[in-house]
Amino acid sequence: MSRRDRPGGRDRPGVLATLAIYAVLLAGAVITLGPFVLSVLTSFKSPGQFAREPALTLPAPFTLENYAQLFGPRVDFTRAVLVTFLVVLVVTAGQIAFSVLAAYAFARMRFPGREALFWVYLATLMVPAIVTLIPLYLLLTESGLRNTFWALVLPVAFGSPYAIFLLREYFRGIPQELIDAARLDGAGTLVTLVDVVVPLSRPILATLTLITVVTHWNNFLWPLIITSGEQWRVVTVATANLQSQYNGNWTLVMAATTLAIAPLLILFIIFQRQIVRSISITGFR
Amino acid sequence: MGATLRRREAVTAYALLAPSLFGVVAFLVLPIFVVLWLAFQDWDLLAPLQFVGLDNFSSVLTDAQFGRSLLVTLLFVLLVIPVQTGLGLFAASLLTRGLPGSTILRTIYVLPWICAPLALGVVWKWIFAPTDGALNALLGFRVEWLSNPDLALPAVAAVTIWSQVGYVTLFFMAGLTSIPDMFLEAARIDGASPWQIFWRIKVPLLRPTTFFVLVTGIISSFQVFDTVYALTPNGGPQGSTDVIAARIYYEAFDSFDLGRASVMALVLLVILVGVTLLQQLYFRKRITYEQT
Repeated sequence: MSRRDRPGGRDRPGVLATLAIYAVLLAGAVITLGPFVLSVLTSFKSPGQFAREPALTLPAPFTLENYAQLFGPRVDFTRAVLVTFLVVLVVTAGQIAFSVLAAYAFARMRFPGREALFWVYLATLMVPAIVTLIPLYLLLTESGLRNTFWALVLPVAFGSPYAIFLLREYFRGIPQELIDAARLDGAGTLVTLVDVVVPLSRPILATLTLITVVTHWNNFLWPLIITSGEQWRVVTVATANLQSQYNGNWTLVMAATTLAIAPLLILFIIFQRQIVRSISITGFR
Repeated sequence: MGATLRRREAVTAYALLAPSLFGVVAFLVLPIFVVLWLAFQDWDLLAPLQFVGLDNFSSVLTDAQFGRSLLVTLLFVLLVIPVQTGLGLFAASLLTRGLPGSTILRTIYVLPWICAPLALGVVWKWIFAPTDGALNALLGFRVEWLSNPDLALPAVAAVTIWSQVGYVTLFFMAGLTSIPDMFLEAARIDGASPWQIFWRIKVPLLRPTTFFVLVTGIISSFQVFDTVYALTPNGGPQGSTDVIAARIYYEAFDSFDLGRASVMALVLLVILVGVTLLQQLYFRKRITYEQT
């Protein structure tokens, strides 16, 4: 970035060009943010106002009745929110912990079959989620786990090959002397891992945590097929159901989408720097 | 001493690997074999599985509806990829001029990318709604965005582009800022115009970034589901948005023909592995700035 500011740099445009650039960039920002603003505003309108007035008016009076209905007895998003939080919590904890263990073995230990196994882990990165969907459905149904909490978390809670790949790269950059020093003090593998390696890897762990939280809060297709009914519904599935069930009741539906987006929005505002950096490091999808 | 120590290290290593190995084998490797096996079975979720040989393959590969799905998906990729790549490069070139506010604008552009595609799809379904939606209110006239078979796929593509441009922009920004100054300086001394510098120097040097953005974009576009499901369920008007992932879903969990759905999943796998291998091939001989 700084090289752009050096004296004599000709990348800095003139006044007119600068105004034109800002106009274009701001138009882009309006188009990007517009749908968010409109949907949030709509979620605070009464259904009556929504029916009477054009879509682009401000809420008057400002009302929370849509949200009250969302958490009321008929729709009941409360359980969906709790289930989603729990899923994200368990999946993130499992993925991070088990990925750290595996990555340490791949990065720092010698054992027969290491290269071959690592190759298998990497090869699974090529497999698109939609391809494993039907066999996973069969496996979990046959195990009697369909429509349970475990069906939501098990397939993803044992570590992710991509996280293992990134962590392994990171662990290999930790100076061997630090690990040897801990070893000389008599620390076992697990103690070395927890006391030396993990504290040194905070940035990459933060990146992976953010990515995992975002991915699994947003997850839709797997929960859609493996759960049914309201018991283990996650927020995305509940939102989709609400939309088809209350078709046209847009003020209520926009309250649901606002709710589905809000936690990530808050996370994004707090950790925007880290999240933007995480995306460019990992290119995660 | 060596042998026992080495054995102990191997045992510890496998103990550390055990959980992830279970996960990888049970939920990633095994399913590949299961889907291959299911492709030869007749299964409706209720009756016991029945081996049917190549029946599923012949019925899927001659199925006009599946053919249309492949075509719709290809069209979707062709609508999304050029536009989002072009817009991303354009935005990145404007955001890397050291103008104040660039960081905040970049952050705003990335925002839709971290939100649930399903939730954003539902938001856009309202925006596109014919009578009480925001877009027609803004335009002042009525357009049936999602029920017109000619408009539905472009509308879905537009929403996808809207949510992904920021991601593409981010990578082009990183690419642009990593171009060494001496190339640009040399071109300026030779009297090149900013336009020439952009097209003759920056764009060619961005090739690795462009390729990365294209490949990840193509791979994810081929699998698009959430946005399509939210905006135009059941394949959309006259099947005009019946992308492969949606076809697989409806074949499996609406028509309850999981054998045929497995064959479709395998077709998608072959397409995507093809794209990935092409990428590998390219990156193996990719040029670095220092070598040029």
